[in-house]
Amino acid sequence: MSETRPDGDADGTALRLDLPAAPEALDDVHDQLDLVWERHDDVSVADRFRFLTAVMEILGNVAEHAYRPDVRAPQRRLELVVTVTADELVATISDNGVPVSLDLSTVTMPDEDAESGRGLALALAALDDLDYERSGDRNRWRLQCVRRD
Amino acid sequence: MIELDVTTDRGIAVVVPRGRLNMVAARQLRQVLADIITGGTSRIVVDLAETTFLDSSGLGALIGGLKSARQAGGDLRIARPTPEVMTVFTLTNMDKVLRPRDDVGSAFDV
Repeated sequence: MSETRPDGDADGTALRLDLPAAPEALDDVHDQLDLVWERHDDVSVADRFRFLTAVMEILGNVAEHAYRPDVRAPQRRLELVVTVTADELVATISDNGVPVSLDLSTVTMPDEDAESGRGLALALAALDDLDYERSGDRNRWRLQCVRRD
Repeated sequence: MIELDVTTDRGIAVVVPRGRLNMVAARQLRQVLADIITGGTSRIVVDLAETTFLDSSGLGALIGGLKSARQAGGDLRIARPTPEVMTVFTLTNMDKVLRPRDDVGSAFDV
């Protein structure tokens, strides 16, 4: 394994990535999370998958909706931090996009024949908690999975 | 990255996505399904046995293919999802609409 970071940093930080806010970055994140599970092989497959699902949905949402069309790709950046503790998996995703005007308490699954619009609802269903805040000139999402298995 | 293999036998197209069906791969799947239907085959089985990940955009591509296939007089059915991919269908309540089949060969028998 090429990673040299020891298991269980003092604060539980397992991954910190600075990424382009673009769909093409999703595979990189997926690969990096697979390496996290190698270091934390006590995390159950079910917990890994729902956490991964939610991280991918929020990253996809940022890539698709957080930027005005005139913002060029190199200026679209996000940071992903993942922490793993005995009790929970937490991801914080912050991006330099426009503020999100959204009330998460009103997000629902769309009609069954809808071809889009399920991302946030799926993230909410997979997670135990999802928070969004505007902090300075950045959006900040916090995703929490309480470990069950 | 994903590989999308397509084989057609006796009027039924079988699509095998190998890898992660994420936002980038979903665009490819949409195109593949559209090409199959435009090409005159409207009965499609998507074999998910080797699909290691599915997100909402991949789900959207499947639903788009299902609608197009039905409009063309056929149907789209899914087969053999892994337990992890199955949770995405369950969490989105799509397991009723895209009811998974246990077997590719008999997916259109009933």
